[in-house]
Amino acid sequence: MASDLLKVAEETVALALRKGAREAAGGAYRVRSVEVQWRDGQLEKVTEATTRGLGLELYVDGRYSAVSTADLRPEAVEQFVADAIALTRTLTPDPYRALPDPRLYEGRSTLALDLEDPRYGELDAARRVDLARALEESARAVKGAEAILSVTTGFGDTLGESARVHSNGFSGARRVTDFGLSAQVSVKDPDGRRPEDWDAAGGRHFRALPAPERVGRAAAERALARIGSRKGESGRFTVAVENRSAARLLGFLLGPMTAAALQQKRSFLDGKLGAQIGSARLELADDPLVPRGLGSRLWDSEGIAARRFPLFEAGALRSYFVDNYYGRKLGMAPTSRGMSNLAWKLGEHGQDRLLAELGEGLLVTGFLGGNSNSTTGDFSLGAQGFRVRGGQLAEPVGEMNLSGNHLELWPHLAGVGNDPYPWSAARTPTLVFEGVQVAGT
Amino acid sequence: MSSIRYFARFGVTEALVADALSAALSRGGDFADVFFQHRVSNDLALEDGAVNRAYTTVELGVGVRVVKGDQTGYGYTEDLSPAALRACAETAAAIASGPARPAPQRFHVPSRLPDRYRLQTPWEEVRPEAKLPLLEGVNARVFAADPRVKKVSVHFRDEAGAVLVATSDGRLVEDLQPMTLLYVSCLAEQGGRREQGGYNVAGRAGFDFYAPDRVDRVVREAVARTAILFEAGPAPAGELPVVLAAGSSGILLHEAIGHGMEADFNRKNVSIYADKIGKAIAKPFVNIVDDAANEGARGAINVDDEGNAAGTTRLVEDGVLATYLHDAISAKHYGVAPTGNGRRQGYAYPPLPRMRSTYMLPGPHKREEIIQSVKKGIYCENFTNGQVNIGAGDFTFYVKNGWLIEDGKLTRPIKDVNIIGNGPKVLEQVDMVSDDLAIDEGGWTCGKDGQSVPVSQGLPTVRVASLTVGGRGNG
Repeated sequence: MASDLLKVAEETVALALRKGAREAAGGAYRVRSVEVQWRDGQLEKVTEATTRGLGLELYVDGRYSAVSTADLRPEAVEQFVADAIALTRTLTPDPYRALPDPRLYEGRSTLALDLEDPRYGELDAARRVDLARALEESARAVKGAEAILSVTTGFGDTLGESARVHSNGFSGARRVTDFGLSAQVSVKDPDGRRPEDWDAAGGRHFRALPAPERVGRAAAERALARIGSRKGESGRFTVAVENRSAARLLGFLLGPMTAAALQQKRSFLDGKLGAQIGSARLELADDPLVPRGLGSRLWDSEGIAARRFPLFEAGALRSYFVDNYYGRKLGMAPTSRGMSNLAWKLGEHGQDRLLAELGEGLLVTGFLGGNSNSTTGDFSLGAQGFRVRGGQLAEPVGEMNLSGNHLELWPHLAGVGNDPYPWSAARTPTLVFEGVQVAGT
Repeated sequence: MSSIRYFARFGVTEALVADALSAALSRGGDFADVFFQHRVSNDLALEDGAVNRAYTTVELGVGVRVVKGDQTGYGYTEDLSPAALRACAETAAAIASGPARPAPQRFHVPSRLPDRYRLQTPWEEVRPEAKLPLLEGVNARVFAADPRVKKVSVHFRDEAGAVLVATSDGRLVEDLQPMTLLYVSCLAEQGGRREQGGYNVAGRAGFDFYAPDRVDRVVREAVARTAILFEAGPAPAGELPVVLAAGSSGILLHEAIGHGMEADFNRKNVSIYADKIGKAIAKPFVNIVDDAANEGARGAINVDDEGNAAGTTRLVEDGVLATYLHDAISAKHYGVAPTGNGRRQGYAYPPLPRMRSTYMLPGPHKREEIIQSVKKGIYCENFTNGQVNIGAGDFTFYVKNGWLIEDGKLTRPIKDVNIIGNGPKVLEQVDMVSDDLAIDEGGWTCGKDGQSVPVSQGLPTVRVASLTVGGRGNG
């Protein structure tokens, strides 16, 4: 049980106070993980471990440091904490450093998030290998499979236990499980290239996973669909971004919403609370209280009781991600240090219908590299996908690039799908943008 | 005297290692190794004028790997007790299923390794108080250099520690692996606009790495790379000739060829370079190496994480693909000697073929001649990140600063543009290579299979006849 970890966290905090810290937050964790990788008809790799460690945030004479160690021998921990406190004393005092106001710990939801699969212990080595094998077999059973060069599949599961204690009254412990299936397929293109694509699924409960056959087949079909990919022409296009790829684009919008980015003036969303950032279709909230959610939690990484709050409403920016420290610096009330799960106001249609309405343009099915400037909002991203012609998927395209500025992109959000990507905390639906600059030939 | 020096402090002995290897081979694995790691990282950060936060991380653990054919069993633990280590080895052993094989009881310890990271003083002996003035000085000088600077953050890191590798064929080697990094970011305002830029330096070195000329350069470059953004506009969109400045442009090699030449991808038949060894892939003046031996470089290693000697590997020799980058598994698969490219992020990870310091050797052209040869194109100076699809060969790198080239001259600065190309096609299109090779001093980190390792890269000034420039507006 995680109760032994709670005890370790309590003892570490007590040790820190004994050694001279005014306040401290301590955390301890233990993670059991098993990962099976299978490739081309045989087991490729099995990794299995139980790992552990502890972390400590120290507030000493108005100064702050955060330390962690995997060396848990008692005499080593004693020395480690003493050294950490001595180190902290060498720093410059910072009046904004303190543990969160204990009132922020209050009102913790009592919802059962159901993040631990009670049947975790039933999985055995043979079952894991069977799943990985089934993923490959289904990939190789699709039409056109003779073009497949290699299939790598995997199944992994973890049981994570953690506990956190603050010297001013917070304490919490939790256990979560994760299960994931993945398949990656490489195929032979007659032009000599070896395009690849993947599919994956993961969740908190084993029985909520899709059948491995579905994942294996999707990976193979996606890779085969890349055959014959060419660079498309440059121009301005209506661009649909499929649900699973949209998370990367969205991340560049959410990153500059942190109080740290605002306080350091590295955010193109600074001073824009309440302003219209996207079209009326942009509506989403941060929701930590989703049963079985991949980002679900009852308290955030600073112990602050988790609650839902709006991010965008009808395109207007409603909240920032405000943590304890930068919130104090900016004089803003904390919301949460970062994203948990996203809850979207979904559209009415799936990808097929969105493409039919789009008519002429592009569907992006993967980004490749690129970056986004959080200070200015300028972005430039490598992309691959398909041309859309007459509302239908046409030829595969690659070696393309999308560029623009987020303050021009999101107002052109013309469509939101009804298809949140279920295997991620961001749960992004298909998004359609008008007038995006695309570079190709 | 025991052959184990550093790890003796944690109770690690030859008998403990031999016992672990014996458990690892208890079910008939072909090969096994144990990898101990201890690493203490200290981070100091300055923000809003004060060094007001510190972070220390202590990593300590051991990974046990068992190889049977192409198959790998892996286990790891932070508990270095004999019982925990044995249990971990038995977990890894389960990849095989046969009679036990004998493990070595005595080890061959190399009398000396190369000495590629020379420190005047080990990091353990540098007190935190001694480091603070470096951060404070850089902060003050960046502010003083340009009144438009409004925010400066300085991040300093040092790492000390060691790895120990012992193998079932009886090798045992320890290597002390220091690292340091200084990252400066600055935010400037001009006429209501904000721009953020920065510079960073890294190396396997001690505190003497921060010699006055290097610190001067850090300050100068951080300010210059930020200030020029106010003058810079968007790049054009479409296919254009691209000139890569000497230095960090080596990111082109890392993405366009380096990853595709890692032997695991070729062994699995999924790399676009899978059947190209011995074939001409570039002009005869193109020579590319992956080098463990750049003294003090971030990508330098004395020995790889499988205990194999690490030297200079010729990837492309006179335009011909010469060899892949191997770890022990791939070297055995191809029947060649390991190239010392078996690297891992830490004890929780089995090794993979990875790059170290990847660069192109000097060529026959001159920088000025290359720029003058371009009628309309772009010149890329500084980069943030890149990525590659191994099989399709498509790769990208993101240009933070660059210039438009018009009629053979650098005319106006450009910023924030992604460049995209296809590895083998681009190598064929490298048609001019200058004589001004520079290895970049930046803190580059390469990610693969969820593992990050420190790398270096370099390039002389190079012209690529055509790449897709992900800018805006018409070329």
